[in-house]
Amino acid sequence: MSSHTLTHPANPARSKSRKSRNSEVTRLMPTWLIAVLTTLLCILVLVPIAYIFLASLNSDIGVARGEFWPSEFSLESYTKIWGSVGLGKGIINSLIVSGSVAVVSAIIAIGTAYVLVRFSFVGRLTMLRGLLGLQSIPGTLMLLPVFVLFASIGSWVGITIIGTLWGLFIAYLTFALPFSTWVMVTYLRGLPRELEEAARIDGASNLGILFRIIVPLSWPGIVVSGIFAFLLGWNDVLFASIFTKPDTATAAIVLQTFSASQEGGAIPVYSQMMAAALVCAAPVVILYFVFQRYLVGGLTAGGVK
Amino acid sequence: MPRKNAGNTLQDESARSAGGPPPLKSRKYKGVTERNRPLWLLAPGGLLITVIILIPLVLALYMSVIDLDQYTLRKWLTTPFIGIDNFVEAITKTDLLRSIWISVSFSVIATVVTVPLGVAAAVVTQNPYRGRAIVRAVFLIPYILPSFVVATVWRTMLQPDGIVNGVLNNVGIDPTLWLNGPMSYWTLVLVEIWAAWPFIYLLALAGLQSVDSEVHEAAAIDGALWWRKLREVVFPYLKGPVSLAFLLATLNHINNFTLPYVLFGAPAPADVNVLPILVYVTSFQSFRFGLSAAMAVVSLILIAIPLFIYLRAVKLDVSDDGGKK
Repeated sequence: MSSHTLTHPANPARSKSRKSRNSEVTRLMPTWLIAVLTTLLCILVLVPIAYIFLASLNSDIGVARGEFWPSEFSLESYTKIWGSVGLGKGIINSLIVSGSVAVVSAIIAIGTAYVLVRFSFVGRLTMLRGLLGLQSIPGTLMLLPVFVLFASIGSWVGITIIGTLWGLFIAYLTFALPFSTWVMVTYLRGLPRELEEAARIDGASNLGILFRIIVPLSWPGIVVSGIFAFLLGWNDVLFASIFTKPDTATAAIVLQTFSASQEGGAIPVYSQMMAAALVCAAPVVILYFVFQRYLVGGLTAGGVK
Repeated sequence: MPRKNAGNTLQDESARSAGGPPPLKSRKYKGVTERNRPLWLLAPGGLLITVIILIPLVLALYMSVIDLDQYTLRKWLTTPFIGIDNFVEAITKTDLLRSIWISVSFSVIATVVTVPLGVAAAVVTQNPYRGRAIVRAVFLIPYILPSFVVATVWRTMLQPDGIVNGVLNNVGIDPTLWLNGPMSYWTLVLVEIWAAWPFIYLLALAGLQSVDSEVHEAAAIDGALWWRKLREVVFPYLKGPVSLAFLLATLNHINNFTLPYVLFGAPAPADVNVLPILVYVTSFQSFRFGLSAAMAVVSLILIAIPLFIYLRAVKLDVSDDGGKK
């Protein structure tokens, strides 16, 4: 490695030719085929995406007529969505619930994952397997008993849970917690043990090791598990459709009210719908591209969207 | 190459310190990890998982054998036990079997189509070129977008007077109803494919990374044609990751509630009445909670098969690390 770096500036031509020969060797397909397939896949992705942007800049009637290219461009839809369905309130509700789910599950996940990765005890493998299995439980299966419990607690104790953000918060934790913990488990596995062992010889306690060594070293893992917990909440429709009332509706539910509002025979508000869809997608897309480096590895760790 | 070296030395070092020569030292390490376990750290997570996941799961099982509807909802502790009646009713008197068929067939079709797409995408972005980062970002877009956004957008495009029918009309194909009637099944399949192929792409990408460069060189010396090299040299490396992706993707499709719900609404047209929608409608529109719990339990049994295979296949532990029991 070091010798290669040394020779590199000396004769760039040779090293370049070597590099290109190397890429020639690892090339998996002829260039023309790569170009064709890449173009096709990009078209597949980008045409609907282009449509959303164009439709959001169109007028509601223009989109309803089936225009791809707007007859006139305007930003009107982006101003209307805040008044017509209360998208702002929905986004704030989503941010509150998903944000707190992210923080709570990331904090709990790191403690649990640390013990699961570094210490042996009876039932450890069962717990690991359980964490993975719990992620594949159908949401509809969880929704029923959680709904019954919430309704019963409401009538037994007199605390209303259904319709509040607390209900959603607890419901999302049921999915976020196993997922975040699993992401942390896969991350902590990759950390070398030497630092912990050194700290232990110096007399550090378990908590000391957790806070002084594990937490500072695993920020990327913590961020990833937090983001995934956030996305679980942000992307959910199932629980939010049952546990919210108009006042506490999340962004995903508010977006659905656009389609509901046209069922009464009113003019469909497609352009506003597309603008609102983009606004709902924006935080997610921004999160991904800011943390892309960490996220792409983590995406495959849990294996569940 | 350098990365591989670094990995080796690390492994050597850890092997030396863990199971290496000084026996006294290794015993001491072992004693520490076993004796001084902060098991109480499991308490918050364990308690929460028990309260908010395991108890509801048990309750779901219990609900499936009692006669629970909107009148008895708040008195579920005293609701009469009716054994397997809910299951019998679900199978004989509802759309359950049809929904299972729709769910399973649509999931398998969607997965079968996404696998070649995802693998192709991984192969074409394997070799570096200018702008590859942008292409990779583009490939991730369908995956990143929330399902409810994807479904909303496609729902708009597939309206009877929408853009898709408009384009088809211009090409001379008769417009069809996409969101109703028999075509709705294929609409669901298509949108699911559009949204889900990057998942396979990501897992295939991870698999391609494990192909050694020596393998490429050997194939190049042999003068293998590209498609032979792909088929006989590269694809075997992808077999593991892609089979895993196949299982997971199918599970995700079966469990997907958001996409059909937002595309078609609830109750859904008969042709796209997938399991999650059926369970949802039975409980929250017909208010037959016991019956729908039975359906949900059936769907759990259904996904338990691929899930079991997946749990057996996945690596739970780093084998040489301590603590394996």
